[in-house]
Amino acid sequence: MNELENIKELFEERITSVNDLNELNAIRVDFLGKNGHLTTCMKLIKDLSNEEKKSFGENVNKLKTLVLERIEEKKEYLEEKEIRAEIDKMPNVDLTTPSGDKRGSLHPVTIVQQKLIDIFRSMGFTVEDGNEVETEYNNFEAVNIPKHHPARDMQDTFYLSNGQVLKTHTSASQNRIMKKYGAPLKAIFPGRCFRNEELDASHENTFFQMEGMMIDKDVSISNLIYFMKTMLSEVFGKEVNVRLRPGFFPFVEPGFELDSSCPYCGGKGCRVCKNSGWIELCPCGMIHPNVLEMGGIDPNEYQGFAFGLGLSRLVMMTYGFDDIRHLNGKDLNVLSQTKVK
Amino acid sequence: MYISLNWIKDFVDLDGLKVEDIVNKFTLSCAEVEDVVYKGKDISKVITARIESVENHPNSKKLHLLKVNTGKEVLDIVCGAPNVRVGLITALATIGGKVGEVEINKAVVGGYESYGMCCSAKELGISDDNSGIIEFAEDTPIGVDIKEILPIEDTIIEVDNKSLTNRPDMWGHYGIAREISAITGRKLKEYVVDNGNYASLPAINVEVESDTCNRYSAVRIENVSKNVSPMEMQVRLYYCGMRAISLLADLTNYIMLELGQPMHSFNGDKVQAIKVRNVKEDTQFTTLDETERVLPKDTMVIDLNSEIGAIAGVMGGLSSEIEDNTNSTVLESANFDAVKIRKTATALGLRSESSARYEKSLDPEMTMTALLRYIYLLKNIDENIKVTSSITDIYVNKYKHITIEITKGFIDRYTGIEIGIDRMVSILESLGFGVSQNGETLTIDVPTWRATKDISVKADIVEEITRVYGYDNMVSLPSKQPVTPTKLSVDVERDYSLKFTLADRFNFHEIHSYLWENAEENKELGIETVSHIRLINSLQKDNDDLRSTMLPTMIRAIAQNKNFEDGCGVFEIGHIVTGMKDNLAVEEKALGMAKIFARTDTQKQLLDMKDCIHYLFEYVLKIPVAFKHNCPEKPYLIDKNHYIVVSGTEIVGEIGILSPKVQRKIDSNKNIILVELYLNEINKISSQEYKVERVSRYPVTTLDFNFLLDEDDLYSKIESVGGLVRTDLSYKFNLVDIYENKENKTKSYTIRYQVTSFDHTLSSAEIEEFHKAVIDTFEKHDIHLKAE
Repeated sequence: MNELENIKELFEERITSVNDLNELNAIRVDFLGKNGHLTTCMKLIKDLSNEEKKSFGENVNKLKTLVLERIEEKKEYLEEKEIRAEIDKMPNVDLTTPSGDKRGSLHPVTIVQQKLIDIFRSMGFTVEDGNEVETEYNNFEAVNIPKHHPARDMQDTFYLSNGQVLKTHTSASQNRIMKKYGAPLKAIFPGRCFRNEELDASHENTFFQMEGMMIDKDVSISNLIYFMKTMLSEVFGKEVNVRLRPGFFPFVEPGFELDSSCPYCGGKGCRVCKNSGWIELCPCGMIHPNVLEMGGIDPNEYQGFAFGLGLSRLVMMTYGFDDIRHLNGKDLNVLSQTKVK
Repeated sequence: MYISLNWIKDFVDLDGLKVEDIVNKFTLSCAEVEDVVYKGKDISKVITARIESVENHPNSKKLHLLKVNTGKEVLDIVCGAPNVRVGLITALATIGGKVGEVEINKAVVGGYESYGMCCSAKELGISDDNSGIIEFAEDTPIGVDIKEILPIEDTIIEVDNKSLTNRPDMWGHYGIAREISAITGRKLKEYVVDNGNYASLPAINVEVESDTCNRYSAVRIENVSKNVSPMEMQVRLYYCGMRAISLLADLTNYIMLELGQPMHSFNGDKVQAIKVRNVKEDTQFTTLDETERVLPKDTMVIDLNSEIGAIAGVMGGLSSEIEDNTNSTVLESANFDAVKIRKTATALGLRSESSARYEKSLDPEMTMTALLRYIYLLKNIDENIKVTSSITDIYVNKYKHITIEITKGFIDRYTGIEIGIDRMVSILESLGFGVSQNGETLTIDVPTWRATKDISVKADIVEEITRVYGYDNMVSLPSKQPVTPTKLSVDVERDYSLKFTLADRFNFHEIHSYLWENAEENKELGIETVSHIRLINSLQKDNDDLRSTMLPTMIRAIAQNKNFEDGCGVFEIGHIVTGMKDNLAVEEKALGMAKIFARTDTQKQLLDMKDCIHYLFEYVLKIPVAFKHNCPEKPYLIDKNHYIVVSGTEIVGEIGILSPKVQRKIDSNKNIILVELYLNEINKISSQEYKVERVSRYPVTTLDFNFLLDEDDLYSKIESVGGLVRTDLSYKFNLVDIYENKENKTKSYTIRYQVTSFDHTLSSAEIEEFHKAVIDTFEKHDIHLKAE
C-alpha cells in the first residue's frame, strides 16, 4: 500500500510541474508504459493473499484512472497554452491601413459600352464595329440626308483633304451593315462620332454613340418601345418607363425622341432630369424606306427600327461627370477612378 | 417660335381646355415646347382715363401735374411723360394695382401727391415704346379695365424651332391651330380671305427670269389712309417677337406669323416693273436695316424698275421702304427655292424671319391666300383702300400633287397595335388630308402644305396617324421572332478581352484621345510624325493631321501622367490612317501602350513588357507570337532593343524604347517603353483552339545541355533549332539558365530536354542515342556545346 502512496505522490509532483506536451508524454510512459510505475506495481499482486489482491487491484485501477484523467486534463491545458502562444507570436495586422496596390483601369466608356453589349447580346443582337473615316455617301446620302440638307453644312462636319468625312453619327454604318447581313437583322454598333465644334463642358468634337437596328417583316413601334424599355431598365438596374415624342431625323419615319423616366428620382423631378421627371436619351424611329432600299433591303417586305444612344452622355450620367472633356482628357487622376467593372 | 394662344383662339375654340393639357399633348404629338409664358398676369387695376387738365410742375421741367378722370372720380396725378395733353385717353394704374414689378401706392412726387401712375406701352409689357404714355383713340370709353380693350393677357408658347425643321406648315399660327384642332378634337375654323374679283384690272408687269423662283404673286393697293396698326395687332406682333413699324409693313409680318407666308410690301410709288433674276456679278446693295452688303454673284434679287429692290426671300432694300406718308403699295407674295434661300442667307450671314421660313420649303399655294388675306385685313382696318391691279400670278414650278395608297394592315404592322380604320380616317381628315376609303384601303390626298417635302411615302402617313393617336397609347411588345444566341465579331470580342486583361492583370489604364495629332505638343516634345490625310476645316487650329500610328498619342498621354505612379502604364485601342487607296483613307485599328519607369533595371522592364505581350497573344488571342530584333523607322524610338512582333509570317506590332531626345523633355531620369499592335493584321489570324496534349505513362528522362553563343546572338537561334531533333521519341525542351561570360564575349544557355516514349520505358541505349541526336542537330546549325 505504501508503494501506491509513493507512486501517487511522485505522480502529483511531476504532473504539477509539467510545462510542455513532450514532458507530459514522458510522464505518461513513466507511469503507464510497459515498464511504468503502475505496470510494475501491478506485478506485485501475485505475492498477495486473495483478499488483499482484490483491494490492491481496486486501488491500482483507481490510481490508474486518476493518472489518466489528470494527464488528459493537463494535455488539454497545455495544448490550449501552446496554441495561444502560437497566436501570440503572430504579428498584429492593421487592416485599416490603405492598400498599396497599383491597379489598372478601364475607360468609363468601355465599361458602360460593354454593359450595353452584354444586354443587347442577351436579346439576340449582334455587335459590329465601324470606321471613323467615312464616305459622304455612307454618312449622308445612304441615311437619307440629301446633298442640300442643312446637316451637311461645313460647320458641323469634319471634312478631309480627300473629300471623305469623319463620321458625324453612328448611323453612317447602317448602310454597310444592312449590305453585310441583309434582312432579318438585329445589330448594334457602338462607335466614335465627330462634330466640328468648339469644346466646353457639354460639347466635345469626339464622342461616343451606340446605334442599333432591328429589321424583320413585322417589327413595329411597339417592339421598339419594348426593346428600349427593357434595355434601359437593365442599364439603370431598375424598372423605368419610356415615352416617345415626335422627333425629326431624316433616316427614320416616324421619328421619335425617346425619354426615359428619370431613374434617379423615379420621375418625381430632380437635378438630373431638370425637374421634368424625364430624361431625353435617344433619338429613334422606324427606319425610313429609302434607307432600307439603299441598304439593299426591300421596304415593301421588311421594316424595322433604329436608335442612336448617346453613350458619352449615359457615361456622364452614370458616373456623375460634370464635364464631357474628362472623357478624352487622358488624366489618370480622373479616369483611374472607374476601375475595371 | 412664339405662339400666342389668343391668336390660336381665332381659329380653334379652346374653351374649357387647360393650357397645361394642350401644351403636354402638343409636346407628345407635334413638337417640342421650350417654355410657356403667361403674359399680363402682372398688370392689375389699370384702367382707361382721360386727362382733364395739365399744369407744369413748379419744381421740375419734366413733370406735370394732371387731373385725370376715371369716370368715377378725378384724381391728382404727377406724370413725367412728354406727350401729356388735355383730352388724351391713356392707361392709369390706380392705387392698389400693379404694373410689372411696381405696386401702385399713393406717392409724393416732387412735393405733390399722386394717386396713381399713367403708363407707357412698355410699362404695360406690350411694346418697347417708352417714349411717352400710351394713347388710346378719342372714342375709347373711360373707367374700363384696359384688359377689356387690349389683349394684354395671353399665353405665349415657345416652340423649339429645331423640331419644326421638317414642318413648313407649322411656321404660322394657322398651321399650329390645325395641329391643336387635330389633337384636341376641336374644329378648325375657315381662314377668311377677301373675295373681290379684280381680274379685269391691269396686271402688274412681273417677269420671272430666275429658275429658283417657283411662284411670284403680286397686287397693287392704293388710297391707303392709315399708317398705324391697330393696338391689338401691335400687341400680337410684339408678343411673337416682332416690332410694329407701320400698317402696311406690319400686315405682311402679321400674315407671315399667321400663315407662314413671308410677304413684302414695296412702296407703291416706286414700283412699275418687277423682275426676279440672279445677279451676274458681286453687287452692292443696302438692305432695310441700313446695312450695305455685297451680294455674291448668282444671288437671286427682285428688281424694281431695273434696280435691285430686295434680296429675294431674305430682306428688302432701303430705297423701296414704306414711309410714313406712303399711301400705295405693291405687295409681293412669292415662293422661292429653299436651298437657294438658305445658301444666300448663309453667305450673307443674314437670317431673317422670312429666310428662316423659305428654307423649310413652303407651300407655293399659299401665295394667293396670303395676298387675299392681306386685302381682307387691310379693308377691315381701312375701308377706303382700292385694289388697282389684277392679282398678278406667275406660277412657274407647281407643287407635286401627292396621293398615297395605304392599307390598314400596313399601318397595324408598323404600330404593332390595332387602330380602328374610322379613327385613322378622322385623324387624317382633321389634319387636312383628303381620304377616300375602299374597304381597308385608304387613298390619301396629301394637302399642299404638307406636300413640299414632309410627306411622300406610306411611313409618313403612319407617323401622322400614330402621333395624333398618341404614342402614349402604344404598348410595349416583345418581338415575334425567336431570340437566338449571337456571336460577337472577332474585333469586338478581342478588343474587350485585350482591354480587360491589360487593365485587370497588367495594371494599365485605358485612355481615349483624338484621331488627330496634337501639333503643338508634338513640337514641344520633338516628335516627328507622318500623316497621310488631314482635316481641312477643323476649328482646332493646327491639329489637322490624322494620326498614322498610336505611338505619339501614347507618348503624350504618358508624359501627361508621368507623376501619377511609378511604373504606370496607359493604353488605347484607337483608329489610325495608315495610307490611301483609290483616294480613300486606309483606316486600321491599333493598340497603343506606354509605360514609364524610373531608369533602374531596363532589362527587367523590357522583359516584363514582353511577357505582357506574350500573355496577350498566347492566352487572350490564342495565336502564336515571336519577337524579332529590328531597326525602328520611327525617329523617336532608339535603335537599340527594338523588336518587331511577329505572328506566323505577319508583322503585327513593334516594341521599343523612347529616344532620350524626347525622353529628356519629359523626365530624364525615366524610361518610357512603347508598344503598338496592329489589330487589323492580328484579327486576320484565327485563334487556335487548344487540345490537351497526351502525357506518357512511362518515366521521363531529363537531359541538360550547355550551348554556347556569341554575346550578340539571340536565344531565338537556339529555340528555332531545339525542335528539329529527329527521333521517334516524344520530347520537349526549355531554357533553364543563361550564363554570360563578359571576358569571352559569350553566353552559355542551359537547355533542358525531357524525353519519353508513349509505349515503353526508355533503355539507356535509346537515351544515349537521343543525347547524340540533340548535339548533332545543334552542330548542324553551328551551335556547339560549351567546352567542359
